[in-house]
Amino acid sequence: MSVETHAHHEHPDVVGSRNRLGVILLLVADIAFALSMVFVYFYLRGQNVNNMWLPAATEEHAVVTPLSASPGWTVTAIVTFGLLAHFYGLKGARSKNQTQLKLGSLVAFVASVVAIVYQFNTIATAPFTFSDGAYVSCFYMFAILNFVHLALTVFISLGNWNRARLGIYVSDHWHVDIVRVWWVWMVVSSLLGAFALSNP
Amino acid sequence: MTTVMSKPVSAPGKSIIEKLNFFTALALGAISAIVVWRLALQFLPEDTEVRLFTREDKITLLSMTAWLVGFMTGIGALVGPFRWLMGKDLSHEENMFLAGKDMGIKRYFRYTTDHKVIGIQYLVIIMVIFGIGGILAMLIRTNLGSSEGGWIHPQAYNSIVGTHGIIMIVGTIIMVTGPFGNFIMPIMIGARDMAFPRLNALSFWLIVAAAVPLLWGQFLGGISTGWTAYNPLASQAPLGMDGYIMFICIFAISTMVAGANITTTVVRMRAKGMTWNRTPIFVYGVVASVALGLPAFPVFFLSQIMSAMDRALDTSFYNTAGGGSGWLYENLFWIMGHPEVYVILIPAIAALMEMAPVFTRRPLFSFNVAVMGIAGISGLSVLVWAHHMYLSGWAPLLNTPFMLTTELISIPTGMLFLVLVGTLWRGRLWMTMPTMSIFALLWNFMIGGITGIYLSDVPADAFLHGSMYVTAHFHYTLIGAGLTGALAALVYWFPAMTGRMFDKKLSWVAFWIVQIGFNIAFIGMFTVGLAGQPRRVEAYASTFNTGNMITTGGAYLIMSGMLVLLYGVISSWKSGVKAPKNPWQAKTLEWTVGYPVPLENFEVLPTVTSDPYGYGKAQS
Repeated sequence: MSVETHAHHEHPDVVGSRNRLGVILLLVADIAFALSMVFVYFYLRGQNVNNMWLPAATEEHAVVTPLSASPGWTVTAIVTFGLLAHFYGLKGARSKNQTQLKLGSLVAFVASVVAIVYQFNTIATAPFTFSDGAYVSCFYMFAILNFVHLALTVFISLGNWNRARLGIYVSDHWHVDIVRVWWVWMVVSSLLGAFALSNP
Repeated sequence: MTTVMSKPVSAPGKSIIEKLNFFTALALGAISAIVVWRLALQFLPEDTEVRLFTREDKITLLSMTAWLVGFMTGIGALVGPFRWLMGKDLSHEENMFLAGKDMGIKRYFRYTTDHKVIGIQYLVIIMVIFGIGGILAMLIRTNLGSSEGGWIHPQAYNSIVGTHGIIMIVGTIIMVTGPFGNFIMPIMIGARDMAFPRLNALSFWLIVAAAVPLLWGQFLGGISTGWTAYNPLASQAPLGMDGYIMFICIFAISTMVAGANITTTVVRMRAKGMTWNRTPIFVYGVVASVALGLPAFPVFFLSQIMSAMDRALDTSFYNTAGGGSGWLYENLFWIMGHPEVYVILIPAIAALMEMAPVFTRRPLFSFNVAVMGIAGISGLSVLVWAHHMYLSGWAPLLNTPFMLTTELISIPTGMLFLVLVGTLWRGRLWMTMPTMSIFALLWNFMIGGITGIYLSDVPADAFLHGSMYVTAHFHYTLIGAGLTGALAALVYWFPAMTGRMFDKKLSWVAFWIVQIGFNIAFIGMFTVGLAGQPRRVEAYASTFNTGNMITTGGAYLIMSGMLVLLYGVISSWKSGVKAPKNPWQAKTLEWTVGYPVPLENFEVLPTVTSDPYGYGKAQS
């Protein structure tokens, strides 16, 4: 017995509402995780133990200067664009316009790919190593978490576009609604990271 | 993401779902781990002088991650998401296969989605967990039987203590919500299954997958830090610590998934007419437990990810030389660690509150107070964490507020006591093992609770902190209340889960031996703790000899009682008296379906027209 077996007997709205609540509850866990990261960031910054938040220059290495805030905000801007594209597609699904749904889903997928490539590049080209103090540790923590989030977003948005392409959302579109919830959280979590890293 | 099929697509020939099982999971997990281990050995650069030992941690963590991915792929956890991605949703036949339809015993070794199968899987794995944790406890107590200790190497002793701690904590977290929350709760609310059956299977198999890194870690130096794994101690510990980190990360994911699933099931799938006032109190207990875990375990998860990063990448979250802080770890750990106590206790107490009306034939005394008590404990439990840190030196100004919130929590806890006492009061008791367990809980939890008040008090804690008194206190709550409730739940719901009655004589014998042994063991531990014996020591001053001898004797009694109980489970399951449809004459829905429970539980979904505790009322 599974949801699917009796979903035949249930209205799609009932199943959709159940799935939406499930996703929101999973996001509660993810939000707790992300807020803990923000706590870690501001805790370590506030403590500045041994003046090692941003270590001064020594004989071994140069001074650690915070990375420009722009990469964090750029990723946020790209995923915001992805969210808007998804909204555009969702609007199409609601008005039974399959072409608009496919186009919106495709653009959202492309935005997620661009964002993950950009995020990877930010990590790969960061001008410090993991052991360069507490700020750098937090930078990597935020950047890696965002990368993991983006990897999930690529998976979800690819599936969403593929299913739209196959015409699966012709009869009901609650999946597309739920993917929107994820996209909104993706923007918010990027925003949290960008905000934290803009306050070194 | 769970999907509903729009265009059923049947895979030609034997579907991949039919080929995957526990053994393919083991094989794929092992192969993945070995391959990644070899590749990492080959290609990861050697440590520089600045960053020593991180390479071994990288290799270990990568191999353990590969094990997880391989195992979950081999069991079939990734089939659903990838079929969703490809737009080829599972067909009705495939879903029926996943539900274990007509599959006999094989369904227990597959990624089966039927909540009843998962409930039994949890029951078995919990017995295994308690078996291993119990053996470790006996090793500890035997070593402490004499003041010299010494027959276990101190390093191994530390690891045994740490492993016993974490394995028992995980076992007690899932001991009620796992078997009974899965098997009983959906039927109790009149649902056909959980809201997300595949996520339900995922939660269970993640726990199985998590066990291997913990076991693996035992061969890499073990967990020498105690179950709390405080940093920077943990960052300096042997490679076995990576097993702990991986175990916690996987378990945290499992808990989060289960939390979302169970909460959605209860909120969205209760039977028609089952208003919140008609929802059984056990359901409240299960939901409160998993809902508390939902925000708490991600914090623990993050603490372990940062611990892994410190070990493998040389970051500085907890390393003060690099700008980190040990207090940060303590905060993150206890933000999870104290709600976790109530994640364990609430469903066990709620199970006993569920049984109290059945065995007194009276309505539950003040249902609303019970709900308020559960809500009050849940709310306050997230505001008490720093009482574990009074002596750490972190934020002394906050000691008083945390002392206040900790002591406040006795009010909602007292409400639950009043509900139980009020239900028992002047009732015509049907004396069964579950009934006696209610009395046992009241006695044990009273001791556990009152001794806890001293620990919440800053001046008293300054004397008692780090002593055996603390160990005795939390065992009184987790075993004395938590395990007592879980064992009662086992005997009570055994007929619904197996179709047979639990052997009455064996249940009584096990109950008394465990309860007597437990009180001997931990009152003995209180005495040595009050006299000043520190916890987590391998040897101690001879002045503590008598108390430790008593404790060890009590521990052997607990073990004997648990063995009797285990024999009772096996013999009753195999050849016990066949249970009538509703042996306790209870009024909740799980007793209406008979045994074996049909695949979809109810032919027609029930409509609820009265509250579940209408004993002794007109038209009840």
